[in-house]
Parts: sequence; structure tokens; C-alpha cells
Amino acid sequence: MAHQTHAYHMVDPSPWPLTGAAAALLMTSGLAMWFHYNSMLLLTLGLLIMLLTMFQWWRDIVREGTFQGHHTPPVQKGLRYGMILFITSEVFFFIGFFWAFYHSSLAPTPELGGYWPPTGITPLNPFEVPLLNTAVLLASGVTVTWAHHGLMETNRSQTIQALTLTILLGLYFTALQTMEYYEAPFTIADSVYGSTFFVATGFHGLHVIIGSTFLIVCLLRQIKFHFTSTHHFGFEAAAWYWHFVDVVWLFLYVSIYWWGS
Amino acid sequence: IVQYLTSNVGARLSQIYLWQGSHTFLQKHLNTSVFYSYLGVPSDEEQATGLERKTLEAMKKGQDPYSILKPKGYAGTREDPHIVPSINKKRLVGCICEEDNSAVIWFWLHAGESQRCPSCGAHYKLVHHDVPH
Repeated sequence: MAHQTHAYHMVDPSPWPLTGAAAALLMTSGLAMWFHYNSMLLLTLGLLIMLLTMFQWWRDIVREGTFQGHHTPPVQKGLRYGMILFITSEVFFFIGFFWAFYHSSLAPTPELGGYWPPTGITPLNPFEVPLLNTAVLLASGVTVTWAHHGLMETNRSQTIQALTLTILLGLYFTALQTMEYYEAPFTIADSVYGSTFFVATGFHGLHVIIGSTFLIVCLLRQIKFHFTSTHHFGFEAAAWYWHFVDVVWLFLYVSIYWWGS
Repeated sequence: IVQYLTSNVGARLSQIYLWQGSHTFLQKHLNTSVFYSYLGVPSDEEQATGLERKTLEAMKKGQDPYSILKPKGYAGTREDPHIVPSINKKRLVGCICEEDNSAVIWFWLHAGESQRCPSCGAHYKLVHHDVPH
């Protein structure tokens, strides 16, 4: 019997914060081991424990919210704040890489030939695959909004179809980018051009994969009837994250692919 | 994966059966208390559970046992004192006499006659409030 007189969720003790911290320790020390001592053991172990932690922690949150009803309106409000703050922190993360790009490209050094793109670099044509990628992500923004409306309008089949389409578009983007990376005439080692290009687009690609995974989890939950027409914050959080990924791409496209060529 | 796929198959089979037999029945009863999830998205009314359900049911009756909403505004006069719900016989009250005051006036409010804030004189009355269960 619940005897609390407030609507908040005092969570039960959980091992996942500790396993998460252990994973972080293993991954960081593992990186050092990989760089200096040619061993991937700690790194792999750290990655494995991180994935297990994420799976079990988020599984527990679904249990607490959907199956046990702990996500009352004030709790949901807190989750919203949390997601917004997290996405904001990610925005600042990307601002750093854009800062690096503009710092290097607005005043190209003599080592680069005083030009941007630097002498010897053939940048990718922004009107080929990168433009297709832009269209793919913009379309996926439309489909995820379509899925949201389907959910709010209690339309199960449209929600599932639109969400599936969003995921397929996300996977298509990832496949296209992978091909672009393989075929690119320059590498990460090619001066600051390569560094800024691959670090910025690389982190973006990682976020696309994370966002696609989040959407896939939402699809599975939708199929299993977890979401109601008025309470589906997990879906909204995934959609916000997906729109953020789309916006970052637009900035990348305009700055690095288009202006930067 | 096999488990959720087969449960989806079950949902689709029921969908076909319901569709053939009772199309207009479903159209009429969509979005009401009839369990129609196989063709649509469930509502909180159908599916909310635990504390979420309790707060939902209370809101429908115009009640707020878990103090989700802002406390009601009262004049604070003798005739219209601030009503302070409490599960015990006394509760701490923090009176912000005037807006933006940073010195909050704290005092215990006891069951019985209404008491006044020692600083601004606003009236407060303790009212019993059951532990929600």
C-alpha cells in the first residue's frame, strides 16, 4: 500500500548507477590501454558493461512507469526537464566542434596554403550524397511527426507505419554516410580539414545511431501497447532527440559541406 | 522476439475477427471505455495503473490528495483563512507575507482555532486530510 502523500517517485535502490560508473572507469582506462599497450580487453569489457547497464536501467524505468504507474504528471514533468537539459548539453557539445571548424576555416594558416578547403583537399560535392542525406533526415522529421499525431489520434497502424518509416530513413542515412566515409578522397589525418570534418560528422553519425536505437525501442513499445494517447513521454523524448539530430545535420551541411567547400 | 511477434499475430487475428463481425460496433465505441486497443491506441482511462491511476481518478472527482496542484488562494482574513490540509494534528507553515520577501516566517499550525502569522497577521486554519490509500 502506498502511504506517501506526494506524487513523486522515490526510486527503489538499484545497482545500475554503480555498474554504469564501473563501465565508465573500464572504458576510460581501457582507452588508455588500447592507445599505449595494444590491448582492447578493458575497453571491450567496459563497452559490454555499459550496454548491459543501459539496457537494464531503461528496462527498469519502463517497468516503473508503464507497468507500475509511478510516472504521475509531476514525475513526467521532471522527465521532460531532464530530457531538455540533456539535449541542451549535447547542443553545447556540438557547438565546441563547430567552434573548432570555424576557428580553423575562417583564417586558414599558411600550412594549409592560406585557403579553405586547404591545398590538396578535394571536398565532397555538397549537391550529391550530402544533399540526399539532408532530404532523408528532413523526411524522417516529417514521418516522426506523423507517427506522433497517429499516437495522439489513437491510430495504431499509422503510428507503427510512420515510426517504421522514420527508422528506415535513419538507417538509410547511416548507410549512405558509411559509404561516403569509405569513398572519401581525404582522411581524418589530412590536416585540420580532415580532423574537423570527421570528428564533427562522426559524432553526428553516432548520434544518428543512438537516435535510431531510441526510435526502435519506441517502436517495440508501441507494438506492445505501452503508450497511451495522452501519456507517451518516451516517444516524445525520442522525437525531440531525433529533431535535434536533424538540426545538427542541417548546421553541418550548411557549414562544413556547403560553405566549407 | 518470437514472443512479441506471436502476440502481435494474435492481435492481428483478433483484429480480423472483430473487423468482420462488428465494424459499426467498433466505430461507435472507439474512444470510450470499451477495450478497443487492437485497432487503436489505449487511453490512460483504460491503461493507467498505480499512483498515476490514483491521481487520475482523484482529478476526475475534483480532488487532489497528492497535492499536485498549487494550493488554492485564500484571502487570509478571519472569515476566509488560508486552509492548510494536514495528515497530522500540526503542520509547519512558511508565510511569505509580501511577494518577493526573502525572509519566510515559519511557525507550527495546530489543529483547532485558526492562528495568525506573527509578522503579517494572515489567518491560517489546519484542516484534516486523510492519508491517501
